[in-house]
Amino acid sequence: MNGSKPSEKTIKLLHSIAFAAAMLAFVLCLLISVNYFQVKSSDPLNAPVMKSLVEKFRNNPDDEQLKAEIRQLDLLARKAFFTNQWQIRTGGYLLLFSVLIVVICIKSVELLTAKMPVVPGESPVNFWDSRKINRKWVAYSGITLVLVSLVFAFLTHNELGSTLQRSTNKDAMAGSAQPETGNNLAKSDSASVSDSLAPGSQDSSALTQSMDGFPTQQEINANSPAFRGPGSNGVVFQRGFPSSWNGSSGKNIKWKTAIPLPGYNSPVVWNDKIFLSGANATKREVYCFDKTSGKILWKTTIEKIPGSPATAPKVNGETGFAAPSLTTDGRRVYAIFANGDLVALDFEGKKVWAKNLGLPKNHYGHSSSLVMYRDLLIVQYDQSGNTSVMAFAAKTGDQVWKTSRDVKISWSSPIIVNTGKQTEAMLVAEPYVISYNPATGKELWRFNCISGEVGPSLAYADGVVFSVNDYAKLAAVKIGPTPELLWESDEYLSDIPSPVATAKYLFLPTSYGMMVCYDAKNGTKYWEKDFGTPTYASPMVVDGNIYQMDKKGVMHIFKADKTYASVGDSPLGEGSVCTPAFVGGNIIIRGDKNLYCIGK
Amino acid sequence: MQNRREFLNLLCRGTILTGLAATTGLLVYRSAQSGNCQLGSSCANCGKSGKCNLPQALLYKETVWQLDPTKCIQCGRCAENCVMTPSAVKVTHVYAMCGYCDLCGGYLKPDTKNISTAAENQLCPTSAIKRKFVEEPFYQYTIDEPLCIGCAKCVKGCGAFGNGSLQLQVRHDRCVNCNECAIARNCPADAFKRVPASKPYLLQGIEAKNEEKG
Amino acid sequence: MKKSLALAILIFLFTIQFLNSYGIQRFPKPEFESGYVQPETLLPNPRAEVLAFMDIGVLIISLSVVSWLVIKKRSRNGVFWMSLFALAYFGFYREGCICAIGSIQNVTLALFDKSYAIPLSALVFFAAPLAYTAFFGRTFCAGVCPFGAIQDLVSFRPQKLGTRLNAVLGVIPYIYLGLAILYAATGTDFVICRYDPFVGIWRFNASFGMFIFGGLLLAVGIFIARPYCRFLCPYGVLLNWTSRFSRKHITITPAECIQCRLCENSCPYDAIDIPTNTRNPESKQTMGRKLIFITFLIPMLMLAGGWTGSQLHEPLAGVNAKVKLAKQILNPVTDKNQAETFEIEAFKSQGKQQAQVFAEASEVLHQFYIGGWILGGFIGLVFGGLIAGRIITRYQADYVPNKGNCFSCSRCVDYCPIKLPLETK
Repeated sequence: MNGSKPSEKTIKLLHSIAFAAAMLAFVLCLLISVNYFQVKSSDPLNAPVMKSLVEKFRNNPDDEQLKAEIRQLDLLARKAFFTNQWQIRTGGYLLLFSVLIVVICIKSVELLTAKMPVVPGESPVNFWDSRKINRKWVAYSGITLVLVSLVFAFLTHNELGSTLQRSTNKDAMAGSAQPETGNNLAKSDSASVSDSLAPGSQDSSALTQSMDGFPTQQEINANSPAFRGPGSNGVVFQRGFPSSWNGSSGKNIKWKTAIPLPGYNSPVVWNDKIFLSGANATKREVYCFDKTSGKILWKTTIEKIPGSPATAPKVNGETGFAAPSLTTDGRRVYAIFANGDLVALDFEGKKVWAKNLGLPKNHYGHSSSLVMYRDLLIVQYDQSGNTSVMAFAAKTGDQVWKTSRDVKISWSSPIIVNTGKQTEAMLVAEPYVISYNPATGKELWRFNCISGEVGPSLAYADGVVFSVNDYAKLAAVKIGPTPELLWESDEYLSDIPSPVATAKYLFLPTSYGMMVCYDAKNGTKYWEKDFGTPTYASPMVVDGNIYQMDKKGVMHIFKADKTYASVGDSPLGEGSVCTPAFVGGNIIIRGDKNLYCIGK
Repeated sequence: MQNRREFLNLLCRGTILTGLAATTGLLVYRSAQSGNCQLGSSCANCGKSGKCNLPQALLYKETVWQLDPTKCIQCGRCAENCVMTPSAVKVTHVYAMCGYCDLCGGYLKPDTKNISTAAENQLCPTSAIKRKFVEEPFYQYTIDEPLCIGCAKCVKGCGAFGNGSLQLQVRHDRCVNCNECAIARNCPADAFKRVPASKPYLLQGIEAKNEEKG
Repeated sequence: MKKSLALAILIFLFTIQFLNSYGIQRFPKPEFESGYVQPETLLPNPRAEVLAFMDIGVLIISLSVVSWLVIKKRSRNGVFWMSLFALAYFGFYREGCICAIGSIQNVTLALFDKSYAIPLSALVFFAAPLAYTAFFGRTFCAGVCPFGAIQDLVSFRPQKLGTRLNAVLGVIPYIYLGLAILYAATGTDFVICRYDPFVGIWRFNASFGMFIFGGLLLAVGIFIARPYCRFLCPYGVLLNWTSRFSRKHITITPAECIQCRLCENSCPYDAIDIPTNTRNPESKQTMGRKLIFITFLIPMLMLAGGWTGSQLHEPLAGVNAKVKLAKQILNPVTDKNQAETFEIEAFKSQGKQQAQVFAEASEVLHQFYIGGWILGGFIGLVFGGLIAGRIITRYQADYVPNKGNCFSCSRCVDYCPIKLPLETK
């Protein structure tokens, strides 16, 4: 700068260098973009051609030509991918370099041709006028912004907030545990929870989902809609059942039909339709049998349920993939499987709704049976970690309430009983027996009396609930807002079959084949009887008798009384682990392979 | 007139500086209390300004991004969303957890019939896993890191059929530690979090314990 | 009680940890007979923490040097070389993170989320430039910010934009700042970092969109000097307002202005206030009336803005991960390639309750509703303030840099014919 003026030539040269570099930069930009989009669109590492080739190769693993083709394509794809990355990187560096040259050239021209500042020709605009105009422009832009925002708000308007509010409110009204307390810590103080509840508060709002009603208690008692009969309590309200039959001679066997897939769930019956399910690791089916003829009316494969896990859960051989029994409300039949699939079918076998409740973390396999309260399907979902009880609207499958349970995993099923004051859903799992309002899911009371991996369900009669588990104890608990222990015993314990109770007596089966009778109120042991055969099915109280099926398929029938008096032993001729269903003078028994209808 | 304006200026400046000082002070105070403690303010120790002796409580440390393998669902977004190409998230092999299987779920495509290192059998799209025979019947698997693009295919395979010794991690020689991680923003499982720079890895298994000691 | 609760939470957390523990030892660790030594898993260390202190040191020293160059030395060349240094250090060497602009979000998040502990470097990068600005004007913009440096470098043919366009476009940074704070405060996103135009250039690596945005800004920057700084930078808003009350500030002339008009076109950023020449032609009454009007208008504007903002809260909250998840649960989208989105898959694998997700999403929506009101109110206030600022204007005789908008780049200094003895040397 100092001394001689820079020659025009230098400046011109610099200009042309800058121009050339700028052109180069531009071309590089284009090249890099094209390269980027090329590879982006072809995505060599995930090419569909490759996938189909591999697919083909799986079917013909010995096709050498296919093998060679795959190898070549793989090499090409990887080459394309990495070359592309190298190209973009190198291009980037070149681009930077050329831009640098442009900048340096132009900066040097600026330096070389440093001009003297000039006084601008025109006089500055009138300051005050321009202020006024600016004001207006700011105002206009503000108005535009508001209008654009409002139009946008209008266009994107959705009811997300209120939708969420509704779904959250539904849960809140249903009295589920507050989501914030997810870890159940807040619920540990049980007394205050149950105190705050007015007994018998039937929250009707939760039932607004009701569309096509629910069966009356008479209807329910005339059928066998769930595991262990109405309310799953082991008590049958009908009379006139056969007490003697023989599977091998055919005596009193109305019909016998093979069941396609295995399952340990008990049959449920509504009028002349019998429902049960079967499953293996890959397939899940629900069957409907005609009670008069024994024909399979329909079978529905449960598949393509959103969220259903691709792989089967690990289950114990004695639980299987279809341990939970179905339930029905005379309108639809509901089934749950070991993988968490919950499905509602109409009486023609068509799927009404289905969902997956999430794969249960259950090392033996999920086995809690379904039960209904009015038009709510109640699901006990005790698993490792995240246990809960849920109710779904029977018609739609919408979750009506969900209450998380601070208990351990269990395999027991809920019972629904009317205690005189109200209807309660009682569930058992270590360490509590907990009673819920089945309409709202609100906890009514709880009692700490059980431990271990609870399998047997509860038995209830006349204000007393009985819980039992192996390696724990048998406990008789007088229910109420503050439940009290009436008596307990650990002489005989059950780990699979559930007890049954009448107002006077408790009948406790054990899985190794004992039957014990206690006084329900004070625990006096009246008698014990060793049938000598393992027993998995639960006993049922039917018309003053107890029906107890053992694992070999022999039904032991005896008086439900203070002294043991056998009414008869009837062999099925086939093993059975399922609790039979008693409906309209017929006994429906699921054997290991076949379904039997006993009666005339 | 001039004085009044200057006074006003002083007042405003004072307000701004006080506000700034207050904000900074508050954050410094809070940091001194909780550091990068992962327990957050739910811990009973919170409030013991600078005196907390829990190992999680660290004062004033720089943070880096890391991926929690227990939360990861191997969706493959790490490969696509990182600001770096290829991604700074790569698979890390925890040898201490490896079963050295011949039939490796992370190395071989499912249903592979004839186990070999041929392209048609390799699960990795870039062939970044190298397999070396150790002794019958064990094979050692090594990651060729420059080749790995973080697609998580092998992680999924290893987690499903093996011990889960292949785990995705943010490799800190490659990560530029963005103020907000672009992968974290897109992670469906919320597996990314800021961790203290002194404990930059969240590996599962024996390795992680060594890490904590160091 | 509190203690036991915390203990319970701790135990609970550990149980969770245990339950989720990844990787089941399906295959036992082999016992090698051939003397094979198991290699160690290599875990490269991140950048040493001590180096964060180096960054802080470089920042403070740079700020001091640039301030000295601007205020005392009045040296454009010095500022230029410092800006190149900043470009090299904070840009290419440190690769853009952490930067003062992004640190707004760290500070906001730290204020709203107690469990987030802000790194010291982020805090200093936020506070130090503001503190320096309070004393010396926006010297940070002049020679420490790499964003400014790279844009300054390419502003070859700066054009005057006119006061109108400047006024209108000048609103954008306020809106950007408001949005950035809203999103950071709700823990949703760091939008400033997400739409950082130049970070890809520092790293030679970024998403394609980032490169396009950065390239476009630089291309525009050839004709409109420092477009990001003037019409986008949210940190610029804070610096602007701090600088207005700065103790010292760069002056065009070291002595008395002689109204030579030589500097009038020197500023590429339209940041020189030209003399008003005359006193305000409006009578005192009119101005008073207008002032009263605007005083009443501002609350109305804030209300209108707030209401508009609150109407927008659902689309604004749409990017929040919790809201997104809740939306996906409510309206499951099925892609032909995938049965469910990864979000839903992750949600299921975590065993969270649906109700919990909904409650969290509702909470976020509520935050956005409140935030929408505040953001809208703030924007209303900005508009009101801008209008009011264009009513109340003082008479001004000289050419002076606008203390708010001036980047202290010191270009105009060279245009002033008056030199102090020190400078002429």
